[in-house]
Amino acid sequence: MNLKEISQAVIVGDADNCAGLTRKAIAQNIPVADILNKGLVPGLRRVGELFEKGEYYLPELIVSGDAVAKALEYLEPLMGGGGASYMGRYLIGTVQGDIHDLGKNIVIMMLRGNGWEVTDLGVDIPPEEFCAAVASGGYDIVGMSSLLTMTMPNVARTIGALKAAGLRDKVKVMVGGAPTTAEWAAQVGADAHAKDGPMAAIAAAKLVGKS
Amino acid sequence: MNGLERVMTALRLQEPDRVPHFERIARKVREAILPGASEEDIVEHLDLDGVRFIDRTHSWGYETVDEAKRIRRDQWGGLVRYTTEDNPVPMEPAIKSEKDLETYVLPDPDEEWRYETLRQLVKRFKGERAIVVGVTDIFALGRENFLGDVNYFRAMVKNPPFIDRANEFLLDYQLKYMRNCIELGVDIFWVNGDWAMTERPMVSRQFTERFLAPPLKKLVDFAHGRGVPVIKHTDGNIWPIYDTIIDAGADGLHPIDPMAGMDIGEAKSRFGDKICLCGNVSCAFSLVSGTEEEARQETREVIRKAGKGGGLICMSSNSIHSGVNPQNYLAMVRAIREFGQYPLALD
Repeated sequence: MNLKEISQAVIVGDADNCAGLTRKAIAQNIPVADILNKGLVPGLRRVGELFEKGEYYLPELIVSGDAVAKALEYLEPLMGGGGASYMGRYLIGTVQGDIHDLGKNIVIMMLRGNGWEVTDLGVDIPPEEFCAAVASGGYDIVGMSSLLTMTMPNVARTIGALKAAGLRDKVKVMVGGAPTTAEWAAQVGADAHAKDGPMAAIAAAKLVGKS
Repeated sequence: MNGLERVMTALRLQEPDRVPHFERIARKVREAILPGASEEDIVEHLDLDGVRFIDRTHSWGYETVDEAKRIRRDQWGGLVRYTTEDNPVPMEPAIKSEKDLETYVLPDPDEEWRYETLRQLVKRFKGERAIVVGVTDIFALGRENFLGDVNYFRAMVKNPPFIDRANEFLLDYQLKYMRNCIELGVDIFWVNGDWAMTERPMVSRQFTERFLAPPLKKLVDFAHGRGVPVIKHTDGNIWPIYDTIIDAGADGLHPIDPMAGMDIGEAKSRFGDKICLCGNVSCAFSLVSGTEEEARQETREVIRKAGKGGGLICMSSNSIHSGVNPQNYLAMVRAIREFGQYPLALD
């Protein structure tokens, strides 16, 4: 089958078709890595491009995310073993005091669709909880989201806590959220900044040298 | 002129005696300025031109669900969580599927207790300062409290009639609420609820025209039919869709979000002759971390760029939230008095 059909189902946000095509591809013994990298990922990449160009907005991102999530229901049980391997492990949460999670959830959707294994800590996460999760080991990147100007200092506080706990060198740090900028991210000691979900997937791949 | 006349004159796009100003001020800032003061006390203390309260405050804390986590059920049936801010954040929507709508019972807009604050405001300020009452935007209410963000956005693409039905419920409540407020003496309605993010509108222009603008127009038409003007609030970059708000008939637009690249001078030249500009001293930067002089100068700039000929209510870029430096806010208020006397002499 032509894996571009899966890409197209993602682009138009047709979850049922995307799931059906994914099952068909699995049944035809197409490698999971191919379904992901030649089907879902190009589709999501195009969705990201359309979002950046201002042709897609939040509703279109959500329904494309639904399509990817449906496909992943069939693909994820087959990943991580001998078949396709994940891009890496990504830990994410909104910083303490911030419980706005729409942006974070879109980032998660984009990351999962791009082959990341994501652990979602949730919202309003204190620095010590980020530290404990990083200490548990195995994460390539920790992402922190701050939607409010007044919670931005808690990003710096969390990065400081990672340093104080001797964990900063064990993980890359990505930050994002509406009021944040690349300059500010550099100031607080993050490794990367992403202004939205599609950019987060690109930045994450760069951080682990898989772009 | 008194405060009410000042605000109403600006909303008619004319010059009052000076640029008007009012704000919603967080408890922490009020405490620093006048310990023990209520919002009404601070309005009087600072001689603000209007007093503003929002309908959500009396719908949020409907029922305590988890005191330790500060989770409450709101009047629509969803869950909200209080943080360090005065405004809680939605956690779980009231309606999870279309089926829920079939048995849904609206809250009663005629319950007397909803109007206690308004009655007090009318008793204290009527005829002297503008009494500004919040009516949450149908899109924001539907998205945040009623259906939830994800369900709402998904339904816009996959099931538009679901949104239409939800909007009918919400409009039914809001129009009755507005009717009651008008009978009690509201001067201005403040339609709060965001349509945009920092980078762009939340939904396409096509969806804005299909789902967001028509309910706003219904609120505006209802208010106008009873002689009450309407200010629409939305954060974010609304350059691509601002005309839909003007076409819906709103009299004022708040806050012309500077963080989203909305320059108030450009707004003045593009549409300052069609709608009163309400904004936009930055409550993300100058009022929070700037010096008093920076707050003063930014206020001057806002008045210089947008005050000419009237049609400006000088306000912050969102609200005087708990992170605002109280001294910087006081500097802003002083600057409005210093630079905002008409005729302006700032160029």
